[in-house]
This record gives sequence, C-alpha cells and structure tokens, in this order.
Amino acid sequence: MDFFHAHQAQHYLVLGALLFALGAAGVVLRRNAIIVLMSIELMLNAVNLTFLAFARFPLVANSPMGSFLSGHAAVFFVIATAAAEAAVGLAIIIAVFRSRTSVNVDEFDTLKL
Amino acid sequence: MEVSWLHLVPLLPLIGAAVCGLVGKWLPKGWLYAVALASVLLSFLVGLRAFLGLGEGVQLFHQLAFNWFSAGSLRVDMAFTFDRLSGALTLVVTGVGFLIHVYSVGYMDEDPGYWRYFAYLNLFIAAMLTLILGDNLVAMFVGWEGVGLCSYLLIGFWFTDEEKASAGRKAFIVNRIGDFGFLIGIFVLFTQLGTVSIAQINSAVIPLGVASLAALCLFIGATGKSAQIPLYVWLPDAMAGPTPVSALIHAATMVTAGVYMVARLSHLYVSAPGVMAVVALVGTITAIWSALIATSQNDIKKVLAYSTVSQLGFMFIGVGVGAFFAGTLHLITHAFFKACLFLGAGAVIHGLHGEQDLQRMGGLRKYMPSTRTTFLIATIAITGIFPLSGFFSKDEILAQALHTRAFSFLTLTPTGSMRLTWLGPVIYAVGSFAAFLTSFYMWRCYFLAFSGEYRGPESVHPHESPPVMTAPLWILAGLSVLGLLLGLPPSWVHGTALEHWTWEHFTEGVFARPRGGAPGEFSPAVGFGIALLVGWLGWASSYTLYFKRGLLGDEMLSARLGPVRRALANKLYVDEFYGRVFVRPLWALARGLWRVVDATLIDGLFVNGIPALIAWVSAMARRFQNGDVQRYAAVTALGVAALLYVFLVRS
Repeated sequence: MDFFHAHQAQHYLVLGALLFALGAAGVVLRRNAIIVLMSIELMLNAVNLTFLAFARFPLVANSPMGSFLSGHAAVFFVIATAAAEAAVGLAIIIAVFRSRTSVNVDEFDTLKL
Repeated sequence: MEVSWLHLVPLLPLIGAAVCGLVGKWLPKGWLYAVALASVLLSFLVGLRAFLGLGEGVQLFHQLAFNWFSAGSLRVDMAFTFDRLSGALTLVVTGVGFLIHVYSVGYMDEDPGYWRYFAYLNLFIAAMLTLILGDNLVAMFVGWEGVGLCSYLLIGFWFTDEEKASAGRKAFIVNRIGDFGFLIGIFVLFTQLGTVSIAQINSAVIPLGVASLAALCLFIGATGKSAQIPLYVWLPDAMAGPTPVSALIHAATMVTAGVYMVARLSHLYVSAPGVMAVVALVGTITAIWSALIATSQNDIKKVLAYSTVSQLGFMFIGVGVGAFFAGTLHLITHAFFKACLFLGAGAVIHGLHGEQDLQRMGGLRKYMPSTRTTFLIATIAITGIFPLSGFFSKDEILAQALHTRAFSFLTLTPTGSMRLTWLGPVIYAVGSFAAFLTSFYMWRCYFLAFSGEYRGPESVHPHESPPVMTAPLWILAGLSVLGLLLGLPPSWVHGTALEHWTWEHFTEGVFARPRGGAPGEFSPAVGFGIALLVGWLGWASSYTLYFKRGLLGDEMLSARLGPVRRALANKLYVDEFYGRVFVRPLWALARGLWRVVDATLIDGLFVNGIPALIAWVSAMARRFQNGDVQRYAAVTALGVAALLYVFLVRS
C-alpha cells in the first residue's frame, strides 16, 4: 500500500527513467523522422518530470543550490527549447522531404561523406 | 722556412678544375684549353721557383694555410711542406702533368666530353699535389682519396660503356680496401703518438709494436693505391680510361703515391724492420708476378699496365730494403719513361683508330716515325740498357737489395735462429730475373708494334699524330735520357757540378737510415755487369723471337710452353680466383641480405607491414561511420550509459 499512497521521489524518478528509455528507443529504432521527433519530445519530458520530482522532494533540505523553484525554472527552459527544437526539426524534415520525397531516416546517410 | 705562397701550387689546378667543371661546357674550346693548361703550368712555375730556392740555408718551405679542425688533442692543419723530396715530386707531377695536358688537347679534341675530361685532369693534379705536399697524414689522406676519386672518374670516363664503368668501380672498390688500412694506420699513430704530423712522427721514438702495426696498415693502403699484390688487380682494368689518363694517373703519378708515402715516413718504416722486409718481399713478388703476365699480353695497354705494376714492385723493393733514395729515384725516372711509353701507345691507338691489339699492328715505324723513335728511347730506358735513366735507377735498387743490411738482424724465430741475411740476395736474384723479363716483354711489345709488316685491316690507314701530341713525346723521351743525370752514382761525378744534382746526393738527410747500417761495399763491376747482361739478354731473346718472325714468335713460345703461356695470357687466373673466393661469396651474402633482410624484413614487415596494419584498422573503423544518424545516436546513448555506470554505480 505504501507504494501507491506514499508519494515519494523514486516513483517519479522510475517513471521518468521509463519514459526516457522509451523515448531513446524510439529515437534509435523508429524510421519515420516525425516519430523520431516525437520520441525526442518524450525524452525531454521525461527529464522535465525528473526535474519536478527533485523540486518536490529535494535530496537536501534547504539546499544551498537554491529553492525548489530552480527545478521549475529549468523545466520552463526545457519546454521552450523543446518547442524551438520541434519547429526547427519539422522545418528540416519538410526541407529533406522536398528533396528526397521521404521522411525515412534510413535513407539519410549523407553524413558519412 | 715559413712562406705564404705555397698553397698556390695545389690551388691553381683546383681553380682550373672549378672553372673547367662549372662553366667549361659553355666556354669556347680554346679558352678552356688555356685555363686547363695555364693552371698546371703556373703551378709548375711556382714549384720550380720554390725548388730553385731550396739550398744550403733552406731545407724546406712550410706553409700553414689554415687550421682545418681541432678536437681535443687532435689538431689537423691544412699545411704544406716543400722539401727536396716533395719538391722534386711536385715538379714531376706538374711537369709531366702539363705535358700530358698538352697531349690531351690533341687526343681528346673530338670527344664531346672534353670539358669534363680537363676538369677531372686538373682536379687530379690538385689532389696529387695535396697528397705530396700535405704535412700531416690527414691532409695527405685528403689527396690520397682525391686522386682515387679522379682515377675512378677518369677510368669510367666513357661511362656509357658498361665494361669501362665497371672497371672504374673495380678500381674504386679495391682502393677502398687499401684505404681502410691507411685509415687504421693513421688512427694507430694518433692514438699512440698523439699526432698526425709527418714531421713529428718522423722525429718520434716509436715502440716496435706500434711502429710495426702502423707501418703495416699504411702499407696495406699503399698496396691498394700502388697496385701491389694482393690488390693490384684494378690497375690492368684501369686501362679502360683514355690513354693520357693511363699515362698520367696509372703510370707516372698516382700509383707511385704508395712508394712516396713509405719514403715520406721513412723513419717510421725504419723503426719497423719486419714491415720493411714485408714491403720488400711484396715488391719482389709483385715485380716477378706481373712481369711474367706482361710477357703474354696482346693488348698494348695491358702490357704497359702490367709493366707498371712490375716497376712499382721494383720501387717497393727499393724502399723496402732501406734504399729510399733508390726507390724514389726509380719513381721519378719511371714517371718519365712510362709516361712516354703510354703516350706513345696512345699515339699508336690514335693513329690506328682505336686498335689496341698488338696482333693487328706491326711495321708502324714507317707510318709514325716520331712515335716510333720516342717509344724506342723509352723502351731502352725501361729495359735498363746502359746508359739511359732506367739502367741507373733499377740497377741501384737491385744493388742496394743485394748489399742491404736492413734485414741482417731479423730472425724468424724468437730464439735467434733463421737469420734473414739471405733475404737481400734472394730479392736481388728474383729482381734481376724480373728485370730480364721486363726487357723481354718491352722489346716484344716494341717489335710487334713497330717492326715487321703492318698486319692490321686494309681499311685502317696508320698515320702520325699531330705535333701537339708528338711534342710531349719528344720532351718525355728527352727526360728519359736526361734522367740518367739524377741516377749517376755520386762517386762517378765526384767534384763536378753534376754531383749536386745526383738524386742520392741531393736527398741526403731527407730519408732515415735503415737499422743495421749502410749497405755493404759494392763491387760495381759485378752489379753493373749483371745489370747490363740482363738488359741485353732480354733484348736478345726478344729479338731472336720476334724481330723477324713477328707473331710467329708467340706461336713458337706457345708450342713450347703451352699451358704455362695460356695461364699467363689469362693473367694467371687471379681475377677468376678473386671472383670465386671474394666476389661471389660477397654477391651471395648480398643477395641473402637483399632477399631476407631487405625484401622480407624491411620491405615486408616495416615498409609494407605498417601501412597494411593501418589499412586494416581503418577498414574496421570505417564500418562505424555509415552515415546512419540513428546508429550514431544509439552508440552515443550506450556510451553515456556506460559512463554513468562507471561513475555512478561503480564508484
């Protein structure tokens, strides 16, 4: 019962880690570029969850690192960055699609040249 | 006396060499000849002026040109000593050298490489003068190597002919073997005496062991440069070069460097009586050995080449028995008549359009009177027929060998038995036989070339050479005669003006006296009588065989002496022997080193192995860079995970 009722940091951390692993697997395994972008969003949000968990349950009380708000601030930065990243990423995908008529990342191997 | 102009003697030909070699190709021919000839002539004049300046008050001129290098206690100067010995040789080298330069103007005029030729020739004169005048062994060695280089360059002058190029290489390599000994000799003297100065070595008291080792090593160098057994094999092959080169380098000057070196270091050699015996013995064996070979050669230049080796043997007999003046006297007279003989042979070859085979000559006295007369005079001189120069110098050597006391205190065993008193008379007997052979083969050469009827092909019309070539012949023939003045025994001309110029009197005090004292009293009648007899006997036997019959004489000899003569004609198979014993094993070793060490180890393992390894590693690494971003991301993620594991979990 404790496990479900006592809200503690490790629950959020485990969930964040699972989400992050899912996202990472999506980035590495999926072929569709849009799905890859979505998986990146998932990873970013897993990180956000971890930030918030530590903000709610600080490891050290009255940490000299700052108040619990610093975790919230980091999350806002991440959300903003994620939005920008998504915009740039989608733009790149559209540009690539125009030249390759495909969003399959398997076919984008020009980095080896 | 310290002077400031002595360096001009070797420097002038060096400048000539630089001018001819660097810009000679673009100079008009006349200018080039003027530069080449003038540099040697000026050098001769400077030498002559210095020579006349030597007198009672002035024993020698010395100049310290510059300090070449100093390291620790070793100090090597470029310094020159001009005394009676080196002075006389300077005159011989520049004088005979100048005549041969003049002759070369006619001989090499049509050769496209004439500018190269004169550059080498001038360079040779400069190197030879450095050798003669150098006042220490290192400076001498510079000249020693310099003449070797010029000899190599000039033997292989027509280097497009593989045979001639390899003759040049042979000369160089054989000389290197000797030079190795020379260098070791210098090292021994420096480590033991702390000096390389010839004057200091000659005034030092040297322990027997050191003196013997150093003298022997230096003599090994002399056997290379002066073509003595066992290193004489390069000289007959050196005849591949232009004939004036054979005259200058391989007869008159360079090959006598070894004799000069021994005479120059006479005090060192006198301190090592055992080595003196070795020198005399090597000289004796060489003299008889190559005289035997010379009797059966058909190439006119080969006859002269073996004759040179033989005469060098006589010189070594002279210096070996302690009669340094006799050895160097023969050096000088030999320079005159052998240069004359070689230039005469060159004129014959020139007049027959390159024919060198005695079998296709004959009757040339009709076509080339000047060449014939000068060749005859030089032949009389070399065969030791009274009263030309060769008679006096060779006879002096043999007489000194007979009466020498240089070996009388030497023993073969430590207990004192087996005294070597018999060595001198044995050398005398063998040397006299070699002198007989000398007379025989030189007259054979003369009769086959100039007497009888012309045996060459119809298409070749023998003709006399231009005056620019015959003039040096006449001068050298004159010197071969006048050389007798140097050789007169002082007792004959006692009290007259000539006494001062006899070589024995002139060089008094220059050479060391051999241990054991002066040679015993001569009985001139016996010595001279035998010498006269030997010379004429050679002429007579050659005359009966060859004068009327020509080539039939050779056939008669072959019929009588079949295998012996065939062996002699094949140079006693020495080249074949060396080929079997030294050259072929060396080739095999070289091939083994090439196959195993070079091809397998160096080329295979290092040169090709390391790039192959790099290529393999690269091929492996290339698989990781396939352009797939997802693979990169996966690898990065795995890497981060691994790092986290290491830093967070393990620590």
